[in-house]
Amino acid sequence: MRATDNQGSFLNRISIRRNQVVSMDGNHEQELEDIELFQKHVSDRFSDLLSPSDDTSADALLSISWLRKLLDVFLCCEAEFKAIMIMGRDASLISKPPLDRLFHELLDRNVKTLDVCNAVHHGVDAVRHFQKLAEIVVSALEQRPIGEGQVRRAKRALNSLITAMALEDKDGTGNKSTERAWSFGRRGGSGAVNKDRNPGQFRAISWNMAKGWSASKQIQAMSSNLVAPRGGETLALPVYISSTVMVFVMWALVAAIPCQERSGLASHYSVPRQLSWAQPMVGLQEKIAEEWKKKEKKGCSGLLEEIQKMEKLVQSLSEFAESFQFPAEPERLEEVANQVAELAETCKRMEEGLFPLQQQLREVFHRVVRSRAEILEALEQGGKSSTPIM
Amino acid sequence: MEKEAPEKSASFVCREEQPNISDTTDTPPPEPTAKADDKTDDKNGDEEKEEDDEKEKKEVEDKTEENKENNNEDEDQTLPDEADEDPLTALQKLSEDIDRFVVSSQEPNAKTNGQIDDNENDDHVSPEVPEFVDKFLELIEEMVEKHDSGEGKVKWNKLSEEGSSSFLEAVDRISKLNNKLLEMKLEGETHGLLINRVGSIHHRAMVYLEEEFRWLLMEESKTDIHDSDPGGDNNNNQKGKPEQHDSCPMPGSESAKDEAADFPGYTNDVVSKLHKIAKEMILGGYEWECLEVYMNARRIAFEDSLQRIGCEKHSIDDVHKIQWDALERDIGSWITALKQCSTVLFSCERKLAEAVFSDYPSISTDIFSCLIRGIVIEFLNFCEGVSMSKCSAEKLFKTLDMYETLRDMVPKMDALFPEDCASELKKDATLTRSRLGEAAISLFCDLENSIKSDTGKTPVAGGAVHPLSRYTMNYLKYACEYKDTLEQVFREHSKIERADSTSRPHGHDYEVEATSMNQNNDSDKQSPFSVQLMRVMDLLDANLEVKSKLYKDVALSSIFMMNNGRYIVQKIKGSTEIHEVMGDTWCRRRSSELRQYHKNYQRETWSKLLGCLSHEGLNVHGKVPKPVLKERFKSFNAMFEEIHKTQSTWVVSDEQLQSELRVSISAVVIPAYRSFLGRFSQVLDPGRQTEKYIKFQPDDLETYIDELFDGNPMSMARRRQ
Repeated sequence: MRATDNQGSFLNRISIRRNQVVSMDGNHEQELEDIELFQKHVSDRFSDLLSPSDDTSADALLSISWLRKLLDVFLCCEAEFKAIMIMGRDASLISKPPLDRLFHELLDRNVKTLDVCNAVHHGVDAVRHFQKLAEIVVSALEQRPIGEGQVRRAKRALNSLITAMALEDKDGTGNKSTERAWSFGRRGGSGAVNKDRNPGQFRAISWNMAKGWSASKQIQAMSSNLVAPRGGETLALPVYISSTVMVFVMWALVAAIPCQERSGLASHYSVPRQLSWAQPMVGLQEKIAEEWKKKEKKGCSGLLEEIQKMEKLVQSLSEFAESFQFPAEPERLEEVANQVAELAETCKRMEEGLFPLQQQLREVFHRVVRSRAEILEALEQGGKSSTPIM
Repeated sequence: MEKEAPEKSASFVCREEQPNISDTTDTPPPEPTAKADDKTDDKNGDEEKEEDDEKEKKEVEDKTEENKENNNEDEDQTLPDEADEDPLTALQKLSEDIDRFVVSSQEPNAKTNGQIDDNENDDHVSPEVPEFVDKFLELIEEMVEKHDSGEGKVKWNKLSEEGSSSFLEAVDRISKLNNKLLEMKLEGETHGLLINRVGSIHHRAMVYLEEEFRWLLMEESKTDIHDSDPGGDNNNNQKGKPEQHDSCPMPGSESAKDEAADFPGYTNDVVSKLHKIAKEMILGGYEWECLEVYMNARRIAFEDSLQRIGCEKHSIDDVHKIQWDALERDIGSWITALKQCSTVLFSCERKLAEAVFSDYPSISTDIFSCLIRGIVIEFLNFCEGVSMSKCSAEKLFKTLDMYETLRDMVPKMDALFPEDCASELKKDATLTRSRLGEAAISLFCDLENSIKSDTGKTPVAGGAVHPLSRYTMNYLKYACEYKDTLEQVFREHSKIERADSTSRPHGHDYEVEATSMNQNNDSDKQSPFSVQLMRVMDLLDANLEVKSKLYKDVALSSIFMMNNGRYIVQKIKGSTEIHEVMGDTWCRRRSSELRQYHKNYQRETWSKLLGCLSHEGLNVHGKVPKPVLKERFKSFNAMFEEIHKTQSTWVVSDEQLQSELRVSISAVVIPAYRSFLGRFSQVLDPGRQTEKYIKFQPDDLETYIDELFDGNPMSMARRRQ
């Protein structure tokens, strides 16, 4: 676990330094240095994400492994933020204006982050469902000689996959989500019979969020009150940086993974351009937003690299299946074989990556819960006394 | 499926050892044909490679193979004769042939391990695939068609036992035939067509099975146990009810259903059907489809039952905004659901998965884990939401309910869930449990703030019990019904920081205090919770002390302190749990404080009055100075009337305390008055003078004293009229 190692050693450094300094008055310089370092680290980490040093395609922008790195980065930044702002700090400072307001906004963002984590967690379930359907396609089309039965099998799965992806995309117009869950084999009986041949049979894909919950509204709410501090408000800066990182990470996750209600996602959020530490983030944000805008018109179930790849392959395999006549033309077969192999490779990456991604999302979830409690504690403490917590 | 591998290889070995045992079937021994030999030889080259592809072939084969092995050669002859008879018999015959054919490929493996060149036979049109395969396909196609044709579609549960098993057998054969043909790697157009045909029939049969599988799963599931079984024990699995781990009564009352109903809403019969279909689908290579259908059906069923219990999903953000009573209701539902899950639903669900996929333990484990992981995480998220929602002291009890439910569930996870899944979810659940514990602590400690912030400046009329005392004590009484849990919560989830927090005095403060109270033996044992409880009591005392100063009348403030003190002690004695925590010593200390207030009151109010009755100054050279005596009577009367007027408006609602007070007053005042009267009454002139100065007879005093502390403004003048 890269993240934990990093942050462990970092925290040690900070806290040791704190303990030495804490007794001295006027550690302003130390503080400035910490904040400077924080900015640098944030900038460095996002630079890595923008242009990974080792150029392997597995780490392509918005791929599963990229998202995992992104979450690592989030955890690191979060830990560093806490080290600077909470540990060893005079709690009374943060509970006074203007910091207290900033912290309360941060707490609110924390809560929304938790919901986004859960929604994305559900979204990963949906992606796993795509994967399973794709596995059917692979196993059907891998067979040689390829016959009508297998092609029909593949076609069924492909149709389900296309429907599922489209549903995930449109999903979350509020009531839609429940409709979806129920539309599969309603208890009425007759409905189920009629639907038997319908490709929409695999509809209930994953657990949903609460009715009316909207990922894009949450992101909007998280970012709407995010204002860069003016010069002089030294301590406001880390809060701002940390919030920006938080919002960006959540935004990117929502863009990548199917999530309840994401309309207008790209326009809801942008990283301020003028700040030097935010430059790599700006770069990423522009890239992702551009992708999003491109896809939003056509409809897509997420910018996750693997999903996009799957979508393309599904499209083309679906054409093949539609026009299939036995016996297949050998040239076409070769092409299909390649695509099937690619699809299998994509499935494999999902198989390997999705579960760890979900675990990491839980880790982020619990970490944010923890931080929220610590910040609350500090605020409460600060309200009562001026003694440092540690 | 992995599990099958060893068995299968074992069967291969077996086959190799007994390649040509003499025939045991009824079919007359055939004359081996050249064709058959060709085919047999033809196969060996591919044998090894294809072992993997053949995983689906299971014991079914193994059982029958001895019979079949040597008969593959005779099919061509037997078939034409009998096919014309009755389609069923024909199918039976053909099936046997197919079985032999499907197994036949294994033989060359033993006989001629790869010594003959395969390619040699490429040009033959159909040396390898016997003619009967076509005939067989016709029959099967017809059969599938019959089952699966738009309008007249045959529902699985309408099929007789025989009907369904013969269909499944047919499907099994077609699956094997399909595999067999594929592994033969035949070439040429005719073969292609044949393979295509088999594949199509196979697919159609599989789709039919899939649909029936889904149908059985969705439609044969009656409403779930918990809400359709009003008489059953599972209905209210609340505290105190014996929990049933092992059986899940069925909704219906048919005895057939009752016997060993372990499955969530399915009869054993349906489960066995599901099992057979699942097995066939997996053997036929349609594992993914089968699992998808199963997974979705069960998830919907689960969501369904949660919904029926009344669990509503809330985002954590919403939990913050939602009205408390709505949230309280939802918490109740989630607790019910969680309890039902951990006692009944999960184990039933697991049994179902194990029964349906009994041939594939790893599949049943995976699918069950996958299903419950989603549900448990959903629960945990809700708990997290609740534990971080805004503080209000009333939330404590629901939070503790949730805490208990989760606490009791975690240890059960090991037994309920597959290992990996259990350890992962336990980790998660333990974190959430701590959050709930911490929330409970902070809610409980919030009582301190409620007490501290109660700074009203209006004294309670008549020195009665203050609402703050009532609130605090009722709250504590209720909280102490959760005493054991609170003890645990404080022990396990108190943050270390708290130990040096300046806002909360700690153990040692109490110890100092305790020592000074001669309580050192108790102080060692004090649990963090009792320390906190003591702290709350002390805060309440301090607050009441301040409030008592709001009364200008010192006597009234004593009455106020007595009233509240008495109330508190009574409450504590009335609740075993708080009494245990506070201990006898504390109660004794309290009671002696009360006596002190009593004394203060007595002194404050009555000693002045008694001063009037003092004999002092009434004996001047052996004579009683009349004017002084008159003055004494006058002031006694006035003072008593005044006391009566004020103090009958005062309130002592505790009857015992009220009567104690009256008795003690009477005991002091009446004898003194009686003796005063006895000694001095004759000094006054009888008649007008006596009437004027002696307004009260001792008995009157008693009556008036009995009117004190009733909370009624009752002037003596009015009474006398």
